[in-house]
Amino acid sequence: MTTITDAIPLSWILVLAGALFCIGLFGVLTRRNAVGVLLGVELMLNAVNINLIAFWRYLEPHLVAGQVFALFVVVVAAAEAAVGLALIISLYRARQTVNVDQADALQG
Amino acid sequence: MLSFLQQAWLIPLLPFLAFVIITLTPLRRHNRGSALLATLLIGVAMLVALGLLYEVTDGWQIDSNGALAQLPVNQVPEAMGEQIEFRTLAPHIVRTIRWAPAGDSAIRLGFLIDPAVALMLTMVTVAAFCIHLFSIGYMAEDARQARFFAFIALFTSAMLLMLMASNLILLFIAWELMGLCSYLLIGFWYDRDYADPRQITPRRAAIKAFITTRIGDVLLMVGLCYLWFQAGTLEIGNGAGQVFHPDFLQRIAHEAGPFELTTASAIALLLFCGTVGKSAQVPLHVWLPDAMEGPTPVSALIHAATMVAAGVFLVARTYPLFVASQILPLVAAVGAFTALFAALIAVGQFDIKRILAYSTLSQLGFMVAALGIGGWTAAIFHLVTHAFFKALLFLGAGSVIHGMYATVGHDTNRAQDIRNMGGLRRFMPVTYWTYLIGYLALAGIAPFAGFWSKDEILATSLQSGQPIILGALLLASLLTAFYMTRQILLVFFGPFRSAVAIHYSHDENSSQHGGREPHESPRSMTIPLIILAIFALGAGALNLPNSHWLSHFLGQPTHAFNPTAALLGTTVAVIGIALGFALYRRAFTAGEQLDPLEQRMPGVFRALHARLYVDEFYAASIGRLTAVLIAISAWVDRQLGRGLSGISRITAVLGRINASMDEQILNGGADQLARGTTASGNRMRQLESGKAQDYLALIFGGVLVLGAVALYLLHG
Repeated sequence: MTTITDAIPLSWILVLAGALFCIGLFGVLTRRNAVGVLLGVELMLNAVNINLIAFWRYLEPHLVAGQVFALFVVVVAAAEAAVGLALIISLYRARQTVNVDQADALQG
Repeated sequence: MLSFLQQAWLIPLLPFLAFVIITLTPLRRHNRGSALLATLLIGVAMLVALGLLYEVTDGWQIDSNGALAQLPVNQVPEAMGEQIEFRTLAPHIVRTIRWAPAGDSAIRLGFLIDPAVALMLTMVTVAAFCIHLFSIGYMAEDARQARFFAFIALFTSAMLLMLMASNLILLFIAWELMGLCSYLLIGFWYDRDYADPRQITPRRAAIKAFITTRIGDVLLMVGLCYLWFQAGTLEIGNGAGQVFHPDFLQRIAHEAGPFELTTASAIALLLFCGTVGKSAQVPLHVWLPDAMEGPTPVSALIHAATMVAAGVFLVARTYPLFVASQILPLVAAVGAFTALFAALIAVGQFDIKRILAYSTLSQLGFMVAALGIGGWTAAIFHLVTHAFFKALLFLGAGSVIHGMYATVGHDTNRAQDIRNMGGLRRFMPVTYWTYLIGYLALAGIAPFAGFWSKDEILATSLQSGQPIILGALLLASLLTAFYMTRQILLVFFGPFRSAVAIHYSHDENSSQHGGREPHESPRSMTIPLIILAIFALGAGALNLPNSHWLSHFLGQPTHAFNPTAALLGTTVAVIGIALGFALYRRAFTAGEQLDPLEQRMPGVFRALHARLYVDEFYAASIGRLTAVLIAISAWVDRQLGRGLSGISRITAVLGRINASMDEQILNGGADQLARGTTASGNRMRQLESGKAQDYLALIFGGVLVLGAVALYLLHG
């Protein structure tokens, strides 16, 4: 029986994950809307998740560490999204905008 | 069964709990509530102590494994001859914890109960309970009641801890805590001032007491360190690794120490210095009479019944060291001298509390003298009976003062002056009868408690063959009966001498400023008087000549009843009373302003009234010496200052040379460096856009660089 590990080499999946990560990073760095930045972060996290699952499935399927880590990332991502959205809302309340270029209070 | 022995740690904990609750919770704003809480908790502690005494009396014992055993009641032979015999009893329970462990060694702290401790615990808790109860009434008008009850509860806790301590370090900690509480309570009315600037105020009295006892405490601490260096331990007991181990005592009794003393004598002498300070023996006695500036219940609890007895208890506790040393004659001499000296001064005082204070000094002298001549049981016996009747007398005095406030107003000087009193037995019958019992007990009239314990001390001194000690103690007994008769006649008999004041101040019609007749105190004050009067009447039954219960209980040799001592004691007491009666029956009646003794022997009386000029002597010697030393060090300081200013001028010249070198050589380079830094900083500032995305891009760039380094440089 042909399994997915025989049909698709590991490197393809890593290329997919890398592409996803780059898309996410591009979004984070270029979007001016804070919600878009947050979406980019989610993409990057999921790229990492794909990596974790792929390595687990291909290299050491007898262990559970990869799955568990992926689950952790999902949970943390949920929390992060909640906090991030809350931050965006309070940013909007404070400045009537969600444009991250205008949130430059860190400037030295 | 036997829960009391195991739960003995509750006894000091309960008053401490009262202190903590009153200090840390909002209860401190509720005067009545804090008073009731403190009294309630000390009452529970008293019940535990009574249960403990009962179990110890039954001979129950718990060893270190927790196994129970019942000892036979101690049967001890009659003492013979002049040899001092002392037996250390096996404790009934010892519980310790390891404290401050360092490597393998740790100090074991905990509690230890033996018969003497059980007896003292009972005495202290009963007296403390009565005094707490009394304070509820006595302090009812005071705005700082919560503070008062917190301190007095802390004091009781420290006293109980000191009694139970299984280690001399713990004993010392509790000892110092008591000193602190004494200081805080003497200065309780710290905002009080007197018209006469020479009269000592409470805050100055507190400082005086603290510093005077500190002299003794420092020497005691030195003694404890010395003992620790010699024995390697401070645990109480005669087992291996404890301070009374026979081999150790044998060794230090013969080993030569400093100043041609044996080691044992040096240690015992230093410990005894602690006693001299705490129990106010001559020459450190000056603080106790001035400690009467504190509230009267404090005088009763701390400066009559318990804390001052702690010094006596310390000697009793470390008695094997004293027996091994050669300083017991010194102990006896100091005690007997204090007994006589203080009794003399008491004759010339007019303040009702100061008379009792000197009487306390004198009675403590009796106890110390008893320890010095080998009367260990007699000293403990007198300690217990004295605590009861002296607490009774002080509370009675408090009741009298409370009653006098109604007439003369809140002026302590007038309210405490016995010349202003007289005839109070008609106004305050309960106070009068209980005071009378305390008076007869102190004067040493059979069958009151004081007679039996004083008789035992006299019998011991008779047996030990020391006529000087015996003579001094007999004379002190005579004076005791004399000044107490003087006091009781002036306070309770004859006409009421402040009647004039009543007449004049009727118009003011104000309860604040007196002007009414003195009245009996409320029930919360008279009930403690009655309880203590019962003890003052009955405590002598502890060691009646035919049963010797206390001697058996404490496991010490008994002395046969000595009719000579009893006869001598009673005779001098009766002579003292008769003299007092003859002199003071009509004192201050027909408009006389002078004390009858002053009319007969003016010089002597004035000297006694001025406390034999001891305070003045200290002021002129030690005080002057300190002033001279201060002047000398001020002069040295000034000279040093002059020298220093010379040095500073040289330094200034050197500094100027240095500065010019700096200016020319170093500064130019530094400025250049600073300018460079500023310029590069300005350029770096461009990077700080304040936008999160720019930072993130920089971070990502950093990650890429680091990744490249890791991949191509580190792994080849």
